[in-house]
Amino acid sequence: MAANKQQGSYLTLFWTGATALCAGLAYLAEGFGKLVLVLGLAAVAIGLFGFLKIKPMEGKTGGVPGNPVLKLLGIAVALGGWFVTIAGLHITTSVGGRLIFALVGIGISLVGVLGVLPIAFGKSMAGKSAPSSFAAAKTSMEHSR
Amino acid sequence: MKKILQSSCLSLCLFMLGLALGAVAYAQTPTPAASPAAAAPAPPLAPADAQLKAAAGKAPSMADLAKGDPGGTITGTINDVPAADSKAGVTLPDVANQVGQNKIAANFIWTLVTGFLVMFMQAGFAMVESGLTRVKNANHTYMMNFFVYTCGLFSYWIIGFAIQMGGSAGNSNLGGLNSLTGEHSLTLFGKAWGVFASAGMLLSGHTYDVGVMVIFLFEMVFMDTALTIVTGACAERWKFLAFTVSSIVMGAITYPLYGNWAWGGGWLSQLGTNVGLGKGYCDFAGSGVVHAVGGITALAVCMMIGPRIGKYNRDGSSNAILGHDVSAVLIGCFILAFGWFGFNPGSTLGASANGNLRIGTIAVDTMLAGCTGTMGAILYMWSLKGKPDYSMSGNGLLAGLVAITAPSGFVNTAGACIIGLVAGVLVCLSCSFFENTLKVDDPVGAISVHGTNGLWGVISVGLFADGTSNYGGSWNGVTGNVTGLFYGDPSQLVAQLVGVSTLIGVVFTISMLVNLAIEFFIGHRVSAETELEGLDIPEMGQLGYPEFVFRPEPVMSAA
Repeated sequence: MAANKQQGSYLTLFWTGATALCAGLAYLAEGFGKLVLVLGLAAVAIGLFGFLKIKPMEGKTGGVPGNPVLKLLGIAVALGGWFVTIAGLHITTSVGGRLIFALVGIGISLVGVLGVLPIAFGKSMAGKSAPSSFAAAKTSMEHSR
Repeated sequence: MKKILQSSCLSLCLFMLGLALGAVAYAQTPTPAASPAAAAPAPPLAPADAQLKAAAGKAPSMADLAKGDPGGTITGTINDVPAADSKAGVTLPDVANQVGQNKIAANFIWTLVTGFLVMFMQAGFAMVESGLTRVKNANHTYMMNFFVYTCGLFSYWIIGFAIQMGGSAGNSNLGGLNSLTGEHSLTLFGKAWGVFASAGMLLSGHTYDVGVMVIFLFEMVFMDTALTIVTGACAERWKFLAFTVSSIVMGAITYPLYGNWAWGGGWLSQLGTNVGLGKGYCDFAGSGVVHAVGGITALAVCMMIGPRIGKYNRDGSSNAILGHDVSAVLIGCFILAFGWFGFNPGSTLGASANGNLRIGTIAVDTMLAGCTGTMGAILYMWSLKGKPDYSMSGNGLLAGLVAITAPSGFVNTAGACIIGLVAGVLVCLSCSFFENTLKVDDPVGAISVHGTNGLWGVISVGLFADGTSNYGGSWNGVTGNVTGLFYGDPSQLVAQLVGVSTLIGVVFTISMLVNLAIEFFIGHRVSAETELEGLDIPEMGQLGYPEFVFRPEPVMSAA
């Protein structure tokens, strides 16, 4: 698809809406603040809908879709590690104990971020999913291989 | 600046002289004897005021000044102190007020000028990132670095600053910031924990204040630094629309949240007061808040967006994709190193307050860590790979600077050297790990430079803080100096590790969720056709180097 007028228009709407949304929040206590907030929300929603509408025009990308369940699992494990760290602050008052909880928490988070998520995103090697049309490119490394 | 300093010194001297004389005079005042009810003489002039009048009498006249002052010895005198009552002349309260204003003025100037230096780092980032990408994507990469400034600044103005700093009142360096009192807290286990703030959206209402403007500018340029880290990691395949929306959201929400927890009076800064962990989470200039947040967000987006076409072979081995401009990369690194003198020493938020003269140490620590970072990377690459690789040398410099950012206010020069050296080696190991083990394609090494070394910088505070720095007697509301494990306080290390855990667990999760939403609505990646052609024409409409003739890229050797 590349950059185009529709993208520019929906971005303008989205950005204007986000600004109005924040202005509405800033002046929420005043009468017009609520109105501006609602208008901003509507503009943001329309902007997002517009993005969604033009998304299919992009065509095939070089990425791989990955595994949605593993993605969620990876995120959950990453966040779970933080809960372990925080729990340690309240379970024990000793510095050594808290240090161990913090290290264990960091370790768990790292398993989620560096262990599960790369697999969830397919350790995405573009070569695996490259269709034959890539070979037609004039300036690509694929062409030169 | 010179005038202000001269004026400050003179005013301060006069003020102290006045106080001293006043005290002496008070001590020597005889007890008044019972006097006959005679006509009372005119009240004697207070000694300090008398001294001031004498000083005014001795000050150079207009005629003297009209002759010029080539030596700079007669410019800036008591006559430059404004008097509330011109008939009475300059009085002690006038001098005291001038001293106060001079202190705030010096701090404003310091903070603003260092903020301008940090802003200039955007140019360095643009050069480094573009230089490390291919010529067919140069315009796109430069434009991302250019436009991220606008995206970040605007979103920070409309809401980001309020979330981050809206509850941070209490900085006497900048006149109090008394209007920023909007921190929202959550009570857990009997303690209130700051979560986010809300005062200062669009810098309106009572936050229309000179001190607030200064802190806004300084914090804004820091935020923009974090945003521009992501553009490097995702270069050469990131859709410009997705980049724009991602940057807007990061400047509005992701960065400000962690910024609030660390710097805005939030829960990480309260670890000292609430649960007795050292002086709370300490991040002097932002290894965690700025660099790790940027690096970790870059990791999240990079995983999602996938590697560039041609980066990996079918057997999983990687190809080196060379940048197009060595000079841009290395000059960009120097620009960044220059800007870092704004980043770290500027984070005192003033030059005239208790402990702020440590800016000299902070600047030297910054230089040394950059130096040893470069040394570590060059020696590592030269010893193990046979060549002093330019891109890793530049990354070594930046890694050292990133790592010293958090501890720069708390460590001595030996500590700074060690921190930088470790960072220089760490960045080489980390780049290899992400590229070859995790298959995360980061064209500029931003994840390793900013993410890995940002985390190392946060941890190093808990190890190397030497307990000598004291910025007004307390840090994060805990009395005493910040002291790390090697100098006797292991609890500070725990506070730092809680920060690291939050970065990896929470900031990464928020970044991932935000960008998954953007992936759903927009899609992060350009089409394969666009990627192969180069992003300059399809995304930006013009080549970065229109007179260059593109040739088929050379066959890359397997790494």
